[in-house]
Amino acid sequence: MLKTEPVAGYIPELKALKARLSVFVRMRWLVVAGIIAVALSAKYLFHISFNLLPVFIICLFLLVYNFWVYLWNRRLAKDDTELVINRAQTSGYLQVLLDLAVLTVLLHFTGGITNPFVFVYVIHTTAASILLSRRRAYELTTIAVGMAALLAFLEYYGVIGHVNLVGFLPVNLYRQLNFVWSVIVTLAVLTYTSTYISTAVAGELRQQHLKMDLLRDKLLKEDEIELERISSEVTRLKDERTSFVRLLNVVTHDLQAPLVAVQSCISYVLDGYAGEVVPEQKDWLQRGSRRIDGLLLLITDLLDIPRIELGQLKQEMADLSLNEVITHSLEGLEIVAAKKGLKLLVELPEKSPVVTGSARRLQQVITNLINTEHDDEVSVAVSDTGIGIPAQDLPRLFDEFYRGSNVETKGSGLGLSIARRIINAHSGKIWVESPNPATGHGSIFTFVIPKKQNKTN
Amino acid sequence: MSKILIVDDDADLVAVEKAVLEREGYKVVTAGNGKEGLVQTRKEKPDLIILDIVMPVMDGYLFANEFNNDKTISKIPVVALTSYVESPLDQPVPFDVVEYVSKPIKPKDLVLLVNKYLKKIDK
Repeated sequence: MLKTEPVAGYIPELKALKARLSVFVRMRWLVVAGIIAVALSAKYLFHISFNLLPVFIICLFLLVYNFWVYLWNRRLAKDDTELVINRAQTSGYLQVLLDLAVLTVLLHFTGGITNPFVFVYVIHTTAASILLSRRRAYELTTIAVGMAALLAFLEYYGVIGHVNLVGFLPVNLYRQLNFVWSVIVTLAVLTYTSTYISTAVAGELRQQHLKMDLLRDKLLKEDEIELERISSEVTRLKDERTSFVRLLNVVTHDLQAPLVAVQSCISYVLDGYAGEVVPEQKDWLQRGSRRIDGLLLLITDLLDIPRIELGQLKQEMADLSLNEVITHSLEGLEIVAAKKGLKLLVELPEKSPVVTGSARRLQQVITNLINTEHDDEVSVAVSDTGIGIPAQDLPRLFDEFYRGSNVETKGSGLGLSIARRIINAHSGKIWVESPNPATGHGSIFTFVIPKKQNKTN
Repeated sequence: MSKILIVDDDADLVAVEKAVLEREGYKVVTAGNGKEGLVQTRKEKPDLIILDIVMPVMDGYLFANEFNNDKTISKIPVVALTSYVESPLDQPVPFDVVEYVSKPIKPKDLVLLVNKYLKKIDK
């Protein structure tokens, strides 16, 4: 058995067999109608004299028998085990056998060998050839010819009675040996030829089926191998990514730890814990301290990029009130602004929009934008009264390490690049307009991020 | 006199913090990793713990686990002093700390921070 689920239990040969068995049931209904129609028209239209009662009894039997087969088929359809194929074939064999017997009995009551419908045996043997194995088909063909011959000779020798189709054929035609033999031989030639042709065609079809099955299995197996290869590749990449993030965290920590220690030692002296510091000493220490601050910031920013790219941000995402995020990111900045003689003006909507995102990262974006000194969607605009951005710098502004040509203050050159990556990770957009079209000077940075989808709507 | 336990593997940083806090009149005990930290916590019964997260032997997270499960010490306030990578939003810390503070911290700010939790207790 194959591993893949939809293939298990699927045997096309069996499916075809089941379909054909149900075709036989449908045919048998028609046959009953046909027999009644033919019998009635023979009797009343063509005035052929024979007894209708046995014909109706046989039809009744056919109806009951066919209904039973119909029920049996329905039960068979639910069965998907491999055993069922044998059961279906046996059922088919028995059905053909019973149909042959019914035909023979029907013929007996309607003129025996002289009834032209004697050639209906060909239909039965053809059905057997399509449905069953070659051996079984020839077996049933022989039985059919045998039954016809038995009927003819039993009537010929008077062992059983004969119904003369008076008004249609010469009386006692069944007693003419030449006629009897010619019908039997013709029937034999017809049935065996049809069986030969049908089994050959059916056999060919079965071969094709088998080839198709083998090919399909092969393709499925190849697919499965390919799928396994891809999934293991995905797992490998995920593992690699996880270990890379871990490595980054270790590197960041180990780069920062000594700087933090140095900074603390310097601060200890600067803050006067190790005795009074004269202004010249203080100046030199502060220069060193500032450089360490810059380096710490650079390390943080530099290692932020792969961390955002590697999707770590997704883990931090939650539903947030944007107003709160903005308020938090402005804490402390007012003092910084005041020191530079600037004022932070904040305009927030009354009802805060809710977004799905990382509070810390969005705060980082807003802080970065402010530090740059320059409705299905939420837009946050940060404008400044700064020096503005020369037009030639605008396209590259969000690139790594890109710094405006007219900027003198120091920074890592990564702030806006990180901001763009964070906003991208929130499925948003960020852009800058300089000079600010509203005021004609300074710059305005705007980012939009999608609002949280309200699932109840 | 209030007692502060500093759990950090960076000896220089510990030395600075210890010197600053002792200046302020606190008694300071130290531990180089989470394991030592637990021993010191049980032995010294500090009034405040300043905890680093990334440490050898036993890190802050593992420390937190044992700390939480020991009801005799779990009521002591803990301030997590973390550098950037250990920030709580990257990875939720499995215990309640009274505050997260990112490194480096200036001596003045350290004193303010500690005073906030210990000023009510008699020095």
